[in-house]
Amino acid sequence: MSTIDHYIQAILIEAGAEAREEGAALIEAHHLLLALAAHEGTAAQRVLTAAGLGPRAVRDALDREFEHSLSAAGVSLAAFDLPRATPDPKDTPKIGASARLALERGFGAAKGKRDLRPAHLLLGVLDTEIGTVPRALALAGVDRAELMARVRDTLPGEAW
Amino acid sequence: MPAEEVPHPQDPADALAAVVALRRLADRLEDAAVEQAMREGWSWPEVAEALGVTRQAVHKKHAKRLIAAGVTLRRRS
Repeated sequence: MSTIDHYIQAILIEAGAEAREEGAALIEAHHLLLALAAHEGTAAQRVLTAAGLGPRAVRDALDREFEHSLSAAGVSLAAFDLPRATPDPKDTPKIGASARLALERGFGAAKGKRDLRPAHLLLGVLDTEIGTVPRALALAGVDRAELMARVRDTLPGEAW
Repeated sequence: MPAEEVPHPQDPADALAAVVALRRLADRLEDAAVEQAMREGWSWPEVAEALGVTRQAVHKKHAKRLIAAGVTLRRRS
């Protein structure tokens, strides 16, 4: 397996852990973003961190989006007082539709498999105006287009 | 809250995102509520009836997780 294969495998494992922790049955695009933000040693992670989007900040932004979207239907998260369910440590969430789209967009952003790097995968997650990720970033005051431009800036020079 | 204060999302993006968020919340609520019920000694048929699903469905969806969580489960039927 190539370096990028190992990286993708690690990202899917990390994203799966995030999904499981949430009690989600599927890995969604926002779980990929959490994994990309947490996996150190990549240009993708460095750009996110420089934009104030470390794993904690991404999680906070996603939590805000969740509460905001619920409030549009008149539901307050604070009103629920049930204990948290215990996550299943053996559960292996499958890849959901939004994560599949993000991966396809990421692959499409690279000039072939040999060119594919973490930054392309981040571009794939960011390159949509629809869904949880762009909504969370907008609520956090992040300019998504500018963030994508900074990610693209890392691509020449074959930076990992 | 009174019905007239319930917001009606005007923007389709907000309305669709609300659907996604409500499903996430309902899934979380189901996991927590089923776990709580089973910890308090409810049976699978009781939980299934309360949720309006078959006991096979509720067992398939929750049994592994609850066993892993160390919940003492009553006999299935």
